[in-house]
Amino acid sequence: MADDYHPAQLHPQEPSASGFWTVEYYQQYFDVDTKTVLMRCYAALVPTNDFVADVCDSKPDMYGPFWTLTTVIFFLFVTTSLASSIGSYLSDKPYNYDFTLLSVAVGLVYAYGMGLPAAMWALMRYLSVTEWGLVEWLAVWGYGMTVWIPVSLLCIAPIPLLRWVLVGLAAILSGYFLVRNVYPVLALAEQKSTRLLVPIIAVIHLGVALTLKILFFSYYIVKEVGVKEPDALPSSPVGPDSPAPTALFS
Amino acid sequence: MSSPLPTSHNKYIAADSDSDSDIDESALPSYGTEDVLVPSPAPGKGKGRPQQQDVLASPSGQQPLSGNIGSSGAGAGAGGGAAGSAGVRGPTRQKFGNIQVETRYSGGDTLDEPVLTTIGRDLTSIYIKLIQVLYPARSGAGREVLRDWDLWGPLILCLALGIMLSLSAPPEQSLGVFTGVVVIVSVGSLVVTLNAKLLGGRVSFFQSLCVLGYCIFPLVVAALLSTFFHKLFIRGPVTLAAWAWSVWAAMNFFDGTNIEQQRVLLAVYPLFLFYFILAWMILIQ
Repeated sequence: MADDYHPAQLHPQEPSASGFWTVEYYQQYFDVDTKTVLMRCYAALVPTNDFVADVCDSKPDMYGPFWTLTTVIFFLFVTTSLASSIGSYLSDKPYNYDFTLLSVAVGLVYAYGMGLPAAMWALMRYLSVTEWGLVEWLAVWGYGMTVWIPVSLLCIAPIPLLRWVLVGLAAILSGYFLVRNVYPVLALAEQKSTRLLVPIIAVIHLGVALTLKILFFSYYIVKEVGVKEPDALPSSPVGPDSPAPTALFS
Repeated sequence: MSSPLPTSHNKYIAADSDSDSDIDESALPSYGTEDVLVPSPAPGKGKGRPQQQDVLASPSGQQPLSGNIGSSGAGAGAGGGAAGSAGVRGPTRQKFGNIQVETRYSGGDTLDEPVLTTIGRDLTSIYIKLIQVLYPARSGAGREVLRDWDLWGPLILCLALGIMLSLSAPPEQSLGVFTGVVVIVSVGSLVVTLNAKLLGGRVSFFQSLCVLGYCIFPLVVAALLSTFFHKLFIRGPVTLAAWAWSVWAAMNFFDGTNIEQQRVLLAVYPLFLFYFILAWMILIQ
């Protein structure tokens, strides 16, 4: 079982050697080293080669997509709350973090990074294009989201124009990465109309980027609060790093 | 004379080793009188009996038993009683008429002890594991403690963290924060464990859940401190130190799972994320 596991012996094995409900079955998709994952993330940021065939050597992993998406969620939440707390600190306003943003980020990122590729895989199977398995679809989408990690870090800076430029660049870069890798597969279908999926993907992608921008990178509190009157403040005006003690037991 | 002895020896051992593995072999011949258990004894049995008991007694290293049935029973009973009081398993024998009754010490009489004793024992076990996880002894003997995993400690710590964070959260969000903490701790430790298993680590599933749960303890302390000290320059270092301690403790555990060196970082990276998101929630509360 798990004691007999050696990665060197894993490749010759057929995937059907053990059932899909066992851990051993999925170990073949986690057979990566640290260097491999970092290299694939870099290749997703600089999309010059075909991702699945050249970069992954036709052996895509599941570690990268899952932890890329999870890291994106993590950084979205952390940088958003950091940016908003900096903003409220600069504008002398008590900071209350919005915890629902975390669940929104989880839902949005996993739905886009896992749900959409899974749907694409199902659709392509229906159209009998079996060039990519589910893992390939997930790998392309998951690694494609890598760019949002540095962007969310850079968007801490409270400069609206910089944020728009960064989000735009990220959307274009990851969109190009997706289309470049997905289009050859879509072109394999017999129906020409499947190529219409490319603009649909592009629209969904831009929509997600815009949603991220509006939900997570839109804390311009500094300027807004400068003109606001004290009525906007809550009843207990205290500093951002000393929340009201009454909130403790309420 | 020599030929019937091994057969009777084998017969006795085989009869009882099926029923229980940790049977005290030295006292087996006195398990009952020959008249009851063996209706037709081997020829020369009466004379060979003391020798046979010596042969049986020597492998297990117990005290050699005398030939007399009654005295051997008393000797074993005394030995068993002494072992029982010392906390080691050992049988106690009594004789009612011709039938010998064996009582074993199985760690204490837990049936009619006070409830406080039961709770106290469980809390002590949680405390011992907590110390072991947070300050692992280098000898390696302490890892045995973790083999006996439990999920009570993680549950208590997780609830404590959730309650403390939800108390200091804005009132309309306190329920969401509590839910969030519980979900993050449970799902997070599940995912981290699964990740280590998938990367080829040899780790027992529930043991890992247990250890990852116990590793939250520094963060619970940090959350407790930051409900009293609101200044960022106190909360920040304390929370970061607690985060580092949690990650360090969890990494100590994953050291023993034989993940290959070039992919250790892949198994450790989720730990950073997992504990940092909790630390972050403490920090920004």
